[in-house]
Amino acid sequence: MGLLAIIICGGAALACALLVILSRNTVHSALWMVGNCLALAVLFLLLNSQFIAILQVIVYAGAIMMFIIYAIMMLNLREAGEDEFRKSLLSGRFIVLFLFMICLLALGLGLSPMALKGEMGPHSLAKFGEVNLIANYIFVQGIAAFELVSVMLTAAVVGAVFLARRD
Amino acid sequence: MNCLSTYLIISALLFSLGLLGILQRRNLIGMLISVELLLNAANLNFMAYNRFLVSDPVTGQVITLFVMGLAAAEAAIGLSIILALYRKMHSINIEAAQKMKG
Repeated sequence: MGLLAIIICGGAALACALLVILSRNTVHSALWMVGNCLALAVLFLLLNSQFIAILQVIVYAGAIMMFIIYAIMMLNLREAGEDEFRKSLLSGRFIVLFLFMICLLALGLGLSPMALKGEMGPHSLAKFGEVNLIANYIFVQGIAAFELVSVMLTAAVVGAVFLARRD
Repeated sequence: MNCLSTYLIISALLFSLGLLGILQRRNLIGMLISVELLLNAANLNFMAYNRFLVSDPVTGQVITLFVMGLAAAEAAIGLSIILALYRKMHSINIEAAQKMKG
């Protein structure tokens, strides 16, 4: 049952990713990316982590992708058509990429016996995904990294304002 | 086939599709969306490994949180660079931005 749900949601995520790449219109591509974010949020829910799933919906689908769609609308990209994607799919440099994909798949299959001798017992498995554990980690142990992320976001916003300034 | 390898296969396929998008598209915003696809695949990998292998129940989720912040910063900087390029070149095709080629 759980495996079926994982396969359905993963298939939805993969189909959305394929449509992100294949669609010629950039707005369509961004909207399919929103669908991919929602499918990944369902996958995170299936991994029993509600907090990250909600953040995936709010931050990715709600903030980042809407920001990108806003930029597309502002630039008014009517004529930015994609050039010949489908007939260059079998050219020489993509053979390397397909080999890379096959190697990643082999890695995913080969690493699966490690899960059987993992250390996670039922006690720590029950605690997975609790919000107070994440908050405790962020605000007590990882407070320096959390503050560094906030400094990085501030620097990014200041840099974006500086770069987009009309001079 | 257990659950971890299912998640790993989904993540590997997502990563490959994102890499294909970066290498193939000539549209700068399309490349930015493909980078978001790559970051999503890495997030899924972190979450799956934290759920099934690591005994500490929060590390992968906190890394996923930080990667989301990184993605937000990257989108802001990338879009402002694209905006500046569009003002200068009047196009967001990456073939137009070849001034550093010499």
